[in-house]
Amino acid sequence: MAVALDTSAAPPAKTAETMSISPGLRSASPVLILLGLGFLAPLITVAAYAFAAPKSFDVFRSFTLENFAAIFDPQNTVWTSFVWSLIFAFLTVVLLAVIAYPIAYGMNRMFGKWAGFVSVLFVFPLFVSENVRLYGWVLFFIKNGVLDGALKWLGFAGGPEVLYTPGAILFGMLYVYLPFMLFPMSLGIAMIPRDLVDAARDLGASRLMIWREVELPLAMPGILIGMLLTFVLGAGAVAESKILGGQSIITIAQDIEVAFTYAQNWPLGSALALILVAIVSGLALYVLSKLDLDRILGRR
Amino acid sequence: METRSQIRARFFVRIWTAFVLVAIYLPILCGALAGLTKGRYFAFPVKMFSGEWWGKTLESFEIQTLVQNSLLIAFIVTLVSVFLAFFGALAFARYDWKGRRLYQKAILLPVFFPQPVLGLALLLWFNALGINPSWQTAVVAHLVWIVPVVTLVIAIQVYSFDPTLEEAARDLGASRWFILREVTLPILWPGIWSGALFAFLLSWGNFPLSLYTAGVDSTIPKWLYSKMVAGYTPMVPALGTMSTLSAAALLLTGGLIGILVRRRREQA
Amino acid sequence: MTLATAAAIEATPVPEGAGHVATKPVLQLVGVKKVFGEFAAVDGINVDFKEGEFVSIVGPSGSGKTTLLRMLAGMESPSEGYITLRGNLINDVPADQRPTCLVFQSLALFPHKTVGENIEFPLKVRKMPPAERKERALELMRMVRLPESYYGKNVMRCSGGEKQRVALARAFAYDPDVLFFDEPLSALDYKLKKALEKELKDLHRESGKTFVYITHSLEEAMVMSDRVGVMSRGRIAQIGTPEEIYTKPVNRFVAEFFGEVNSFEVTERVGGWTTADGTVLTVSGVPDGVSGKATVIVRPETMRFVPAGSSADNTISGVIYNEYSLGSRMQYQVHAGERIFLVEASRTASGGLSAGDAVTIGWDAADAIVVGD
Repeated sequence: MAVALDTSAAPPAKTAETMSISPGLRSASPVLILLGLGFLAPLITVAAYAFAAPKSFDVFRSFTLENFAAIFDPQNTVWTSFVWSLIFAFLTVVLLAVIAYPIAYGMNRMFGKWAGFVSVLFVFPLFVSENVRLYGWVLFFIKNGVLDGALKWLGFAGGPEVLYTPGAILFGMLYVYLPFMLFPMSLGIAMIPRDLVDAARDLGASRLMIWREVELPLAMPGILIGMLLTFVLGAGAVAESKILGGQSIITIAQDIEVAFTYAQNWPLGSALALILVAIVSGLALYVLSKLDLDRILGRR
Repeated sequence: METRSQIRARFFVRIWTAFVLVAIYLPILCGALAGLTKGRYFAFPVKMFSGEWWGKTLESFEIQTLVQNSLLIAFIVTLVSVFLAFFGALAFARYDWKGRRLYQKAILLPVFFPQPVLGLALLLWFNALGINPSWQTAVVAHLVWIVPVVTLVIAIQVYSFDPTLEEAARDLGASRWFILREVTLPILWPGIWSGALFAFLLSWGNFPLSLYTAGVDSTIPKWLYSKMVAGYTPMVPALGTMSTLSAAALLLTGGLIGILVRRRREQA
Repeated sequence: MTLATAAAIEATPVPEGAGHVATKPVLQLVGVKKVFGEFAAVDGINVDFKEGEFVSIVGPSGSGKTTLLRMLAGMESPSEGYITLRGNLINDVPADQRPTCLVFQSLALFPHKTVGENIEFPLKVRKMPPAERKERALELMRMVRLPESYYGKNVMRCSGGEKQRVALARAFAYDPDVLFFDEPLSALDYKLKKALEKELKDLHRESGKTFVYITHSLEEAMVMSDRVGVMSRGRIAQIGTPEEIYTKPVNRFVAEFFGEVNSFEVTERVGGWTTADGTVLTVSGVPDGVSGKATVIVRPETMRFVPAGSSADNTISGVIYNEYSLGSRMQYQVHAGERIFLVEASRTASGGLSAGDAVTIGWDAADAIVVGD
């Protein structure tokens, strides 16, 4: 029955199929339109502004490299912001990898029926505005705050002055970006088939050897995504330095913001943003090109 | 088989996870404490608790507007993003088409992008188009970031969906719409539901995008930030705690509904 | 109980098996139990595995064979009983410290390593220098009949049969005293499976190692093994040579595990062994200790058509309901009243018979199997 129907309907259906677009592209098109208008177009605008005359709004009407010249001028100290942001992003990645790995491992292999609950506990802070959470740390570390007050109450001299230092900024970044390392990492560890670990142990491998030879390489795609995510987010961090850091250092995102707001120098801000985007997307595209997303998300 | 070193490792992992969790919730607790302190300034140990700042916050007309704005934006973002992301996820994980690999990577880019920069870029773009930033533009900005996230959430569910089910339904004579309603949607429902929860909560708590793209309209995170940098008022931790609690309540109810529906289906 | 007493306990006596098998047990199980909560997955197993023997453990899913294997390989500890390897108690010795190796059902090949790296893994564990490692790996590849050019090949690009060989070579590289197999051939197509079964047996012969093979397929077990143990509900129902298991099953479970059988529940009456409908069967070879009630089992291949003029110890008249081709042989479903019988015959012996024909079927007493339950 079905066969008969198919054969009779096949020729017209086939021509219709070749005429129209594939179901995949059709389903993707709304998202693609959104990304085109909401992501690509703004980036093109930024790129266009980056080549406009400084402190003007003459986008598409002037072309100059002055903004980039100003940034790369050794007289200008804006490069220190780049250096700070990239160093902090790098430190965030390294420290978070160390902090998150045991937790990600535990969620997959040790917590059993509690694993779901533990991951909800780690997801939830994502839904609380980062400034609210960072502000909580201000209340914790500030003079007469929770730490200082508690230590004084216990008879100590009071808490250390950590607030408004570069260390506080790094701490804030670790705090805010932990889930972005944890979940991809956990996804990566979930990709390690149990049998392979059992087999390696059966063949005499020690715990360390199993980790180095089997678990780490197989979890690497997930770990790489986590590292990439946290690096990118860290490079664009601004709230941490504003709230916890008291502007003890200026991050690049903050420079961009200042150029756009107080300085009203959109072309300079755009040029800065363009450089940051180039660094970030270059890295992102490089790492993403190495990964097979079907395997990571589909766990096949 | 458990060796002693495995037991030791498990102990260490548990302690470490607990420690990190405490650190994650500590500032939220500090905020809650500060919001419930009587008086204008916060000092620990808290000498006297009171609900006066909660009361003042709830009464404030300004804050009611903020809540309305935040809710409105989150609702629209949820509806639109779930709709777009559902089809986006099918294209991501279900269909095999020519541009799929590229599309999978393109969709990740907004997620892998510093949000403050994205907000400013959108501001520039809206300006170039001659659009005045308002809560509507904030909705667009949220969508650019949230649709990819929701697409990923739903795509994970789509991967476990057996496409031969749709083929079987078509073979049994079902129309495209009928298959969607009777087969595809019910099976993908858990992913869609969690995607919707993600969309709402991420929009509700978003700060960097709203900061630059909402114009004169303010949202809760945006208002909190402006007060934080301007000087201390206990209304900041009070409103922050309320916002956190409502997010938690929503997540809890959403999760419970999900569990109840699944259970009812399994029993039926 | 100390180790000495544990080893002193005699396991199930084993009938003398194939000639080349040495008699010294390399692996010994005494009263081994594994309990999960209330459920005893393995409920008291006693077996000796002799040096150089190929033993298969067969059983349906849920019979406890996988749990047994995990205990043997060191991935679970027994709740009760003793597992000894060359006289040493190894109950709680973890997998990495046991001189045994498991070939997984999934094969568990490392997907990020090449064929060579997979095989060299256990050698790398032992810190063998790279050059020596490669030499040994190539030697093992020759042994499992893998071309040398595969050394640098991505293991995920190998075919199903090639992956089997890589897994085998890797297990041999570990140089274990005993190799365990968790039905590694189950995912292959029939033809390849048949070929590899024979190769595995050849490999067993060449290597002289002790093989313990777990499978749900009795057919597979029969082809390869010196001895077969049939598991049911956490216990070993019977262990013996394939010949013994086939011709002298100890109970109905073992007899039926081979496939479809014709069975008659009989009670001992004055006239002899009588079926429920009052027919008295001619029966021989009733095992000692069976009395009162028994089951007479006639395999389809020993049931035959009895043409007019010839005779059999027991005969039944019926009508052919349907016929099935088994290749060189035919199987017939014969209905006799309420009862359904299966008869197998060569195509020539049953020439011309087809559905609807009235036939007489029968068997000789010596061809039937009598079991107690």
